[in-house]
Amino acid sequence: MISRMTSMGRTDLPPEQQAALRSAVRWVWFTIAYTCVTIALIALVVGGSQAMKTAWIEDMLSLIPQISFLIALLVIRRRPTRGFPYGLHRAMGVGHLVAGVALLAIGGSLAVESLIGLLRGEHPAIGTVELFGQTIWLGWLMVAVMSVIVVGPFFYGHAKAKIAPILHNKVLYADADMAKADWTTTVASIVGVLGIGIGWWWLDGAAALFISAGIVWDGWRNARSAVLDLMDQRARTHDDAAPHPLADRIVQLLRSQPWVAEASVRMRDMGQVFHVEAFVVPRRGGVRLARVEAARSQIAGLDWKVQDVVVIPVVELPEETRGKERP
Amino acid sequence: MRRLLAIMMLMLGATVLTGCGVSIPADPEGTLDRVSGGVLRAGASPSDGLVDVDVRTDTVSGPLADVVDGFARSRGARVEWTVASEEELVDALEKGRLDLAVGGITDATPWSDRVSVTRGFPGIPGADGRSVVLLLPMGENALQSALEAYLDDAPWQGEEAP
Repeated sequence: MISRMTSMGRTDLPPEQQAALRSAVRWVWFTIAYTCVTIALIALVVGGSQAMKTAWIEDMLSLIPQISFLIALLVIRRRPTRGFPYGLHRAMGVGHLVAGVALLAIGGSLAVESLIGLLRGEHPAIGTVELFGQTIWLGWLMVAVMSVIVVGPFFYGHAKAKIAPILHNKVLYADADMAKADWTTTVASIVGVLGIGIGWWWLDGAAALFISAGIVWDGWRNARSAVLDLMDQRARTHDDAAPHPLADRIVQLLRSQPWVAEASVRMRDMGQVFHVEAFVVPRRGGVRLARVEAARSQIAGLDWKVQDVVVIPVVELPEETRGKERP
Repeated sequence: MRRLLAIMMLMLGATVLTGCGVSIPADPEGTLDRVSGGVLRAGASPSDGLVDVDVRTDTVSGPLADVVDGFARSRGARVEWTVASEEELVDALEKGRLDLAVGGITDATPWSDRVSVTRGFPGIPGADGRSVVLLLPMGENALQSALEAYLDDAPWQGEEAP
């Protein structure tokens, strides 16, 4: 459906990004299929363990970022219009926010549920099933299912983590990060079930609390990152670790122009592309239109992400674009 | 690195478990151990064709009572009956005054968040196709496993197709 996507808004994607996007879409669909299978498998054995139930709901929640990624892709490919002059790139950020808030809310309610269960001293019950004429404790089947499904997230987690920086896609990056840490959830649910097995009923609630705390943490990180970008924070790298280096490169490019005395930039992250406002103080109090246009197209030539560029001649650089970043 | 750590944690856990000789599942309150070779405190709520209570002789009989008696015998235990309403039995199970309760209770029972409910056994004589369950103290999983295994091997199992 999205396999022939070659542009995002006004941005024509270079071949590397086109390939990465196709690969990302394939991995997202694979994740959805894999997760549906694990949800169905866990449903067969979920039983009375709070840790299993929490891990199960986490699996369902992990579908939200996948689906919001696919929906956002359908939206952001549209070209800017009179009604949406910046394009529809923010759809990715909205999807990111929705996923983050969902994780935060449901993770929080699961944490409270686990905590109440622990405080009330609720002993989890796990019975048996009759399988091929044998009576088997359901806990063994839970451990078996969780041991089998633990492998998947390693594959798609690492694959997406490689693709996300190429596309500068924070939804994909956060999703990969969660998938890579997913084994802790699986191991915790196994520990919880084995805890019930040896009669340490509280281990199940403790494991559930651990898993739900992980969901809350993921939700907080995702929601925070999405909100900061939607509030037009200075554009940062895909992992939010540092200000994006493109801003400095643009400033250097402008300063190297003979007609420019001073330059600075205001750059915001629209989703996977940036919106750039570059300010220049011309040397002789005047500037030729052709030079501004040349500078603009040189900036656009730096990177596929910076196609929406305006170069503004000013008398003095705006205060907020100069100096060091204040927290 | 983290994967290795996880595998090591699991292996360590498995070693500890087997080393202690713990049987899985175990009862947090040790009900099965206490009952075996001792007394099974069973509760009964009368139900037509499943649990009959004779008020004059104060005896409990019927197919479900036979199941409980049989299970107790298989653990070398004798049964001490308490007859009460379903809610009173559930209360007693919660407070640890009973080890097991029977009545005309099916797998649709609303008591499942206060006590452990066994799988449904529609094959119990007199069940009439109802998926009959037994109630146990919450989370006494060794007791539940032993009881369900006993019921899976019961002589009437498989005879009566529902």
